[in-house]
Amino acid sequence: MSVIAVAEYPEMSPQMAEKSPPLQVLVVDDESLIRWSLVEALGDRGHRVDEAGDGASAVNLLAGGRRFDVVVLDYRLPDSNDLQLLEMIRNLSPDSTVIMMTAFGTPEMVEGALRLGAYRVVPKPFDLHDMARLVAEAPRPARGI
Amino acid sequence: MPTSPDEAVRVLAALVESSNDAIFTKDLDGNVQTWNRGAELMYGYAADEIVGRNVSLLVPPGHPDEIRGILAKIGSGELVRHFETVRQTKDGRRLDVSLAVSPLRDAAGAVVGASTIARDITARKRDVERLRESEARLRSIVDAAVDGIIVIDSRGRIEAFNPGAERLFGYRADEVLGLSVSILMPQPDRDEHDGYMARYLETGEARIIGIGREVPAMRKDGSTFPVHLSVGEMTLEGERKFTGILHDLSTRVQMEDRLREQAALVRLGEMAAVIAHEVKNPLAAVRGAIQVIGNRLPAGSREAGVVTDIIARIDTLNQLVKDLLLFARPPQPRLLPLDVSLVLEATAALLNQDAAHAGMHVTISGQAPPVMADAELLKIVFINLFVNSSQAMKGHGDVEVTVAAGNGACVIVVTDTGPGIPAAAREKLFTPFFTTKSRGTGLGLSTVKRLLEAHHGSIELESPETGGTRATVRLPLANL
Repeated sequence: MSVIAVAEYPEMSPQMAEKSPPLQVLVVDDESLIRWSLVEALGDRGHRVDEAGDGASAVNLLAGGRRFDVVVLDYRLPDSNDLQLLEMIRNLSPDSTVIMMTAFGTPEMVEGALRLGAYRVVPKPFDLHDMARLVAEAPRPARGI
Repeated sequence: MPTSPDEAVRVLAALVESSNDAIFTKDLDGNVQTWNRGAELMYGYAADEIVGRNVSLLVPPGHPDEIRGILAKIGSGELVRHFETVRQTKDGRRLDVSLAVSPLRDAAGAVVGASTIARDITARKRDVERLRESEARLRSIVDAAVDGIIVIDSRGRIEAFNPGAERLFGYRADEVLGLSVSILMPQPDRDEHDGYMARYLETGEARIIGIGREVPAMRKDGSTFPVHLSVGEMTLEGERKFTGILHDLSTRVQMEDRLREQAALVRLGEMAAVIAHEVKNPLAAVRGAIQVIGNRLPAGSREAGVVTDIIARIDTLNQLVKDLLLFARPPQPRLLPLDVSLVLEATAALLNQDAAHAGMHVTISGQAPPVMADAELLKIVFINLFVNSSQAMKGHGDVEVTVAAGNGACVIVVTDTGPGIPAAAREKLFTPFFTTKSRGTGLGLSTVKRLLEAHHGSIELESPETGGTRATVRLPLANL
C-alpha cells in the first residue's frame, strides 16, 4: 500500500514562488529542531523569524505589541492541545496569517482551524520548500503605516 | 410334601383359595361351577351369586363374546394361554385380564368343562400405555430438538442420531448408525477418542461427562464448527451408554470473534493516534533539520545525495504511519453522489504516471447511476486494487474493469491477468498485516474492506478458473 495518497489537506500549489518580500514570521513549536529548521529555511529566504517554544510565550510576544505577518503554529504544545490558542492569536493579531502544523489532524480539527481563520493546516512531517512557499503566498492585508 | 391323595387335594384347594388370581370352573356351556376367593375379589360376585349362572355375564356389553370360541377349543382338548381380553365386574368396572383356560376331564378322560385362571392386568396395561405415551413424547422432543442428540455405546458406536444431529453434521442417521462417533470429530480428537473413552471407563475420571465443554466438531464435508457438548451416562440392560447433546456455537463464536475484532480495532485506533503523533512529530523535526543541513552541502556532493536518500526514507516511514492510521482510524466518509467511472479513470491515470505501474493497461466499460461515496476514500480503494493487480502482473498486463448496476448497488468488477491468489493466502486476504509480498504492511486489502464497509459496501475476491484475480466491489447507489 505504498502509493496511497491521502488528500486530507488542500494541495500546496507548486507554482507559487518561494521568493517574496521579507516577512516577519513567528514559529511556535516545542520541538527545537523544527524551530531551528524553520528559522534557517525561512531566514535563508530573507524572512525575519522569531521563535516561541510554547503558547504562553507566543501570546506574550503578541500581547506585547509585536506584529507578525505569518505565525506558523503547532497544534499541540506543552500548554495547548486544542484550538483555543489559535483563537487567542487570531484575536490578538487579526492581520497575521496563521499556518497550523499538526502531527495528527482529524478532519474535524482541520475544519475547526479553518473556521477560526487559519490559512492552512499542514500535516507533519512537511517539506521545508513547501512551507516556505506557503509562507510566501500567505495573504498579507495592506497594513496601515 | 403331601403324604396322601386327600392331603394333596386339600393343599391344592388351599392354594386355589388363597390365590390372588381368579380361578373358576365352568361346564362346556359356560355355566360357572366353582368360584374362588380371588374371583370374588376381582369380579365382585360372591360364589353363591354366580355359581350356576353363565360366565358370559362377565363379558361387557358391546364386547364380542369370545367365550363360545374358547369353549369350542377346550372341547376339542386344546389349551388357551395368555388370552388377553376385557371383562366387567359386578359394579360395571372394566378390567383388562389375561386368561389361561384348560380342559377339565372326567375319570374317562372326556372333556366335561374348563378351568379358567384370570389375572387382572389393568394396571400393567395402563403402565405400558403410559410408557408408550411417554416414549412418544420424548421421541417427539428428541426429533424436534435443534440440538444434535447422539447416543453411543461403551465402544463409541453410534446407536441413535436425531434429526438435529443430521442437520448439524450433514449425515443421515442411517449413514452413521453403528459407526464410531469419532468420525464426527476433527483431529486430534478423532484419533484420541477411543483412548478418552477407555480411560474414562477404567478410571471414571470425567473430562466432559457431567461437565460439558466447547469442542470442535466435523461435518460430513470435512468442515469444522464449534459445539458445546454435554454428555450423560446411563446403563441399559447392564450396558453403559452415553448420550451427547451438541449445541451449535458457530454463530455465537462468529459474533464473539467479530466483537473481539471490533474491540481490537478500537484499541488499535487509539494506539495509532498516539503513535502517529509521537512518531510524526520527531519525523518532522529530523526531516526539517536534515533538509536544512542538506541545503548547505555542496550541490552534487556525495553527502547531499545521502541527505536526499535520508529524506526519502523518512517519507517512507511517514507513509507507513499514514497507512497504519488509515486502517486503524479510517476517516468518516463524506458521502456525496458521484460517478464511479470517473473516479476509476482518474485513479488509473494517476497510477499510469508512476513508472512502476506504467505497463498496466486499464480498460473501463459499462456504467451505473451515481453512488454515495467519498471520492478520496474511493480513490484509495481503487489504487489498492490496481496496485495489487499491477504487482501480481509484475507491472505489465491488462486490467479489465466493468461497472454495472443491480439490486440498488453499483457493482464494480476488477479482473487482472495475473497468476491469481495463491491457495494458501485465500483465507487471510483481509487479515491485517498478512502479506505475501516481501515489502509492505499487509494492510492494503484490510483497509479497502474497512473503507468499503464504512460506505455500507463490500468486497469479494476470487481467482476464477479462467485465471487472474477478480475483485467484486459493491457500493450503494445514491437515492437521487
